[in-house]
Amino acid sequence: MANLASIQKQFMNLMQNKPNRLINSIAQQGQLEPRERLSIYQTAYRIRLTQVIEQDHEQLGKYLGDDLFDVMVEGYLKAYPSVNNSLREFTANLPRFLSESKPFKQHKILADIAQFERLLLHAFDATDDLTLTTELLEKLNEIDWPLLVFNLHSSVQLVEFKTSAVESFQTLKNESAPPSPDVDKPRLWLIWRTPSKVTEYKLLEKEEFELLNLIKRKQNFSLLCQSLINSHPPENIAHILIQYINIWLSLGLLKQF
Amino acid sequence: MLKVVGMKEFLGFGLGLRSTHFEEIIQTKPDVDWFEIISENYMVDGGKPWYYLEKIRADYPIVMHGVSMSIGSVEPLNFNYLDSLKHLAEKVQPKWMSDHLCFTSVGGINSHDLLPLPYTEEALKHLESRISQVQDYLNREMIFENVSSYVTYNESEMPEWTFLAELTKRTGCKFLMDVNNVYVSARNHNFDPMTYLNTIPKASIQQIHLAGHQDFGTHVIDTHDEDIPNPVWDLFRQYAQTLGPISTMIERDGNIPPLSSMLNELTFAKTQVKDIWFDQGELKHG
Repeated sequence: MANLASIQKQFMNLMQNKPNRLINSIAQQGQLEPRERLSIYQTAYRIRLTQVIEQDHEQLGKYLGDDLFDVMVEGYLKAYPSVNNSLREFTANLPRFLSESKPFKQHKILADIAQFERLLLHAFDATDDLTLTTELLEKLNEIDWPLLVFNLHSSVQLVEFKTSAVESFQTLKNESAPPSPDVDKPRLWLIWRTPSKVTEYKLLEKEEFELLNLIKRKQNFSLLCQSLINSHPPENIAHILIQYINIWLSLGLLKQF
Repeated sequence: MLKVVGMKEFLGFGLGLRSTHFEEIIQTKPDVDWFEIISENYMVDGGKPWYYLEKIRADYPIVMHGVSMSIGSVEPLNFNYLDSLKHLAEKVQPKWMSDHLCFTSVGGINSHDLLPLPYTEEALKHLESRISQVQDYLNREMIFENVSSYVTYNESEMPEWTFLAELTKRTGCKFLMDVNNVYVSARNHNFDPMTYLNTIPKASIQQIHLAGHQDFGTHVIDTHDEDIPNPVWDLFRQYAQTLGPISTMIERDGNIPPLSSMLNELTFAKTQVKDIWFDQGELKHG
């Protein structure tokens, strides 16, 4: 007779379609055969995890179409069974899976769309940091500004795609055909959650993207100014940076000190 | 070992809190006595789930209901999960916390399903030790729900109801009795649901769940995506006659209808026990 540990191990093997002997532990009852009884659990496992992928990667699903989506789900469930208590994390490895596995890896945009959808999820339930306000900044002494280090709100995500992943996401969401995956230059995206709890994304120019990345790396105000020295007259730099900061404050991208 | 002795608080009639109803609950403050949250849905740092929960918990008592403690698993307890649960309970301040008598994860893999245990002396001893460890670590009483099942193990040495009765005798643990789960399992394993319910000591029942299922004739699947069907209402009414008032709530996890439909179903639940638990609108003593 199987003990508790053995039954549990066999059950998990069954769920993952691995060889198992669980059938030997299942009593014959009523009109339903033991094999049919076990298949209820196998089916529920597959449906549950498929629904998570469908829900968290809705536009990726549309891009792939039903047949390829099913191939992806089958491969992903096998390669990356859930190791977290929360289903929220179940697709954490989906971008990696798509970038490593045939036939998906030949289409870089698939991993990019999956990553973008993951970043939206991160922004959605990131920590509720208090946002920095103009009033708080105005209270600072002038001498404190050079060494001032800003902090990005926890929901802020910065990502570079060499495909039209986000444009495709957007058109698919609007039930239109996606554009070509190829783009003339890398796309630099900002993803964040607004103070009214709405997840947003915005295409950035290289200068703003790099400034936000410097803030992410805890660089101070002086270093932010220095980063602009080759592209703007020195006398304009502080003013340009203040303009950027005002935009970031209005979007809720900076958190309180 | 933590000894938890307490009066059972009757919270009245509650609903499972679902995100599709967040906004309407805040706007309309419906006549619901309490809400039950799925603990794991709030194990996030912030954002909309927390925004709404903070507002709703200001107006309603909250109960936490988990799905991944895996209390019956032979794996070591997941202390990261318990830490998250502890942290969540500190923030939410629930009336009580529950999870399921089952295993969900083994070998580091999570099935995200409530898998049944064999009803053996080995499993009883295992649960006895785990429940004690968990309650000590959380410094709180845990309430455990009976799960629905589709299989009976050849290894089982006793029926589920004897197993549960013995578990509460040994540990003092209380149960969240899911009446739909009892009905589903009774149909799938051909037993008398009232034998099950009458065997579990009444004093151990802290809460009742009601839900819907899919009936395939040869078997029934616990789906929570339909209105509560008549056989479950009948069983609830029959069971209520044997109990004092017990906090009762309706679970709906799929095909979620508008809040107004859930409120109608909740009103119907109240009418089912109106003359059993209440005397001219006043709560009878249990």
